[in-house]
Amino acid sequence: MTDSQHQTQKLPLLRVEDLTVRLRGEAGIVHAVSDVSFQLQRGQTLGIVGESGSGKSVMARALMGLLPRRATQQLDGRVSLAVDGRVLELLKLSEREFRTLRGPRLAMVFQDPMTALNPVLTLGVQIAEPLQLHLGLNKAQAMARALELLAQVGIPDPEGRLRQYPHQLSGGMRQRVVIAIALACDPRVLLADEPTTALDVTVQRQVLDLLLALQRERQMGMVLITHDLGVVANRADHIAVMYAGRIVEYAPTSRLFSAMRHPYTEALFKSVPRLSDPSHTRLHAIPGRPPQLIDPAPGCAFAPRCPNVQQRCRRETPALTQAGDEHLHACFYPIGSREVGA
Amino acid sequence: MPIESGNRRRTPAEPLPVRRKTSYGSAGRASRALSFSVAVRQVFGSGFGTGFWLAAGWLLLVAACALFATVLPVRDPLDPVIVNRLNAPFTTNWLGADGLGRDMLSRLVHGARVSVVISLTAVSIGMLIGGSLGILAGYFRGRFERALMAVLDVILAFPWLVLLLALVAFIGQSLMAISLAIGLLWIPAYARVARANTLSVVQREYVLAARAMGASTLRILLREVLPNVILPVLAYGLVAMGLVVIVESALAFLGLSVEAPQPTWGGMIAEGKRHLAVAPHVALVPSITMFLTVLSLNYVGDRLRSRFEVKESNL
Amino acid sequence: MSETSNPQLRARDDIVLKVEHLVVTFDVGRELVQAVSDVSFDIARGETLGLVGESGCGKSTVGRAIMQLPPPKGGKVIFKGQDITRLEGEALRKTRTALQMIFQDPISSLNPRRRVKDIIAEGLQIWERPNQRARVEEVMEAVGLDPETAADRRPHQFSGGQCQRICIARSLALDPDVLICDEPVSALDVSVQAQILNLLEDMKARYQLTMVFVAHNLAVVKHISDRVAVMYLGKLCEIGSVDAVYQHPSHPYTQALLASIPELETSQEDAIPLLQGDIPSPMNPPSGCRFRTRCPKAQAICAQQEPAMQASPSAIDDHFVSCHFPD
Repeated sequence: MTDSQHQTQKLPLLRVEDLTVRLRGEAGIVHAVSDVSFQLQRGQTLGIVGESGSGKSVMARALMGLLPRRATQQLDGRVSLAVDGRVLELLKLSEREFRTLRGPRLAMVFQDPMTALNPVLTLGVQIAEPLQLHLGLNKAQAMARALELLAQVGIPDPEGRLRQYPHQLSGGMRQRVVIAIALACDPRVLLADEPTTALDVTVQRQVLDLLLALQRERQMGMVLITHDLGVVANRADHIAVMYAGRIVEYAPTSRLFSAMRHPYTEALFKSVPRLSDPSHTRLHAIPGRPPQLIDPAPGCAFAPRCPNVQQRCRRETPALTQAGDEHLHACFYPIGSREVGA
Repeated sequence: MPIESGNRRRTPAEPLPVRRKTSYGSAGRASRALSFSVAVRQVFGSGFGTGFWLAAGWLLLVAACALFATVLPVRDPLDPVIVNRLNAPFTTNWLGADGLGRDMLSRLVHGARVSVVISLTAVSIGMLIGGSLGILAGYFRGRFERALMAVLDVILAFPWLVLLLALVAFIGQSLMAISLAIGLLWIPAYARVARANTLSVVQREYVLAARAMGASTLRILLREVLPNVILPVLAYGLVAMGLVVIVESALAFLGLSVEAPQPTWGGMIAEGKRHLAVAPHVALVPSITMFLTVLSLNYVGDRLRSRFEVKESNL
Repeated sequence: MSETSNPQLRARDDIVLKVEHLVVTFDVGRELVQAVSDVSFDIARGETLGLVGESGCGKSTVGRAIMQLPPPKGGKVIFKGQDITRLEGEALRKTRTALQMIFQDPISSLNPRRRVKDIIAEGLQIWERPNQRARVEEVMEAVGLDPETAADRRPHQFSGGQCQRICIARSLALDPDVLICDEPVSALDVSVQAQILNLLEDMKARYQLTMVFVAHNLAVVKHISDRVAVMYLGKLCEIGSVDAVYQHPSHPYTQALLASIPELETSQEDAIPLLQGDIPSPMNPPSGCRFRTRCPKAQAICAQQEPAMQASPSAIDDHFVSCHFPD
């Protein structure tokens, strides 16, 4: 027993190996996620950054076991979750086994707080439901816990809110409720898929700070998925940059920003308008557009838009390789160590 | 009403599944034929399956019968050959004979004419009047819309059969009169479908953009609204035609459709009722024909409608 | 009267567009909501005015009210010396062509049933301009679309960024004086957003445009604007040159907005406290200063009296703020 406990201490909380997802689309097979691997330790935050179509949301759904079964052509790789002193192979679980994990072990916060809540149920019922289901609390206990959760996510007048419906809340408040529901059963891993994209700037900051505070307090592992480098810049411990379904660079946050190796990471970084630039500064746009994920051409997916493209890039797909301590990149001709940002 | 149409970043379209159609490629004019087949596939889609084509084939057959009834090599539908009376199918007549010894096949073919004419005319009337009213209501909103909707609700609340009987009694029992009566009955449904579609189109920014260009109201209605409303309305038309066929047969059953001896499917079923015990085929043959026709109309209409809906979400 | 209460309106002779006391109301069920109340500003020839604020602040409504889509409830929109709120019918339609608009959702802005060349030529056809084909090809090339391959396709065959290029080409075809951009890049990916922003700058230079740029992203607005107006709940809080507003923000709301932007450069510790709470409903805005419910500096007077526009303490020319306690 102690031995296995010792084991789980060393084991990463969530370990993803060569996750590959192919979906059936109208126009063909979509190579949504290809060979994605990463690890998440307890109490750490992994930021996943990518543009639309980079496969980041599909990956999150795959981890949650929420891919539409009929549309899934292929789902390969290994996803191991270390909880309760054992290691679960998520992709091998049946739908019924998986259902017992969603909520108490794995939880997800979605982008649009309006559609994530049921409009005809009160907030109290929606928060209490998973508590009754997974933790076996009775109704009164569940409601008391719901009250506590609402207070924890910073909702003023939680007693009154319990009886309210989603439409009576503002967007920011709704997202706090969604977070409360996700945290209801004290999950070990929280997947947040663009949790603040639908919110206003001033509210976005509040919600991100709340997520991070709760994550630290509960020592959860958090995967924060976003299209905005700025959202993860100060919050994630590690950042994975995704492009066309693959992780193209992975590094501890500070290292990524100080010494980015992949041309896409750099181009993405440079194309973001900055407050520190003077007005009418020309932006560094990435030419072209993200590739189609149907029948991808051989070679590096970024090759057609890459400034340093070589012959080899169009023939072979670069694998994710070690470039230093915890720093990986998938590029044949990475940018030499270079100071960026100052 | 949203005060601000939204500063939010729209949901980034994650590929689940990616629906972007493959582009034509830059080959240009060289592949006219290819791009035509792509266009056909974009209008009609590629994945309809055999069921759709079987249904469409049946509908084409019915339409052809109606169109060429007089020149087809079938017997005279009004000629009673008493010796053949109530003969079963595949004996003296392919599909048997009715109570007066008239050829069933020939009566079906000529009856198709009535069904096709009535359903086409009735649906066209409903589509033209109801569709235009619906588009206008959806575009202009306000008092006109409220008044129109109130009137339509009253009509819809009325038992349709009673209304139809009154209309037929009033305008008569000719083919055109019956079509007109059923057509009037379809106006409310069409107005609703057209209005709902118009409401969603009017919210699109391209309508606003056209106004910013200085386009007149008429131009906006014809160029921006109509082309986007007409496809779902047309697809609904097929389902409506199926219902019209049934409504006509109900009238015929009550003896209020086109007057005898002109054959209609509904009339044939009504007549077959008398011989049900001895010769069930007299009622069954037209019933099956009608069943297949209505089923095909619904199936084709449904598939086309879902195709357009997918296309909308695709855009 | 307007001169005294609107010090932010400049006395220059190259003012192309002037908005005075603009009021826009919406019918929401039984109530009337003032989405925009008493907003005034002006734009000089060749200038880009950035209009920023969070959702529901009325910035997009201002953009549409300038176009008279729909006409505002009150106030004036003076374009080249003419109050266009008084125009109707043909005259309004004709004047409107000199003001063009680009919208947030490029895909919903294009009629899916029409070809690209017809979409771009729409305005030219309506006004029966000569040489339509040449003009369409010219603007298509200007925005980086190949007329040869793109003209005969339909919008759904293009990506979001390309659709926004088509929208820009359409708005330029009639050679407008003023281009109103309503969140033109917020539906686009970061890498595409930069392309479109650069394109807008190029088009502004090439076609001598005056622009109103409505957006919620302050960094984007800073990049493209000469002057910036900050709105909150239908009111103007602060207006001034980009340098004035970004370097010396006088209104507490502007300061809070700037502080809440997620920045790439790490370790910016909060000198300014973050805003608490959410935006109040525009159905019943707070009395006095509308920002007072979230303002760290709010005093009794803020609830009683609405602050007037006044010169900012920054002492920068043409920098104005409506706050009882500006910095």
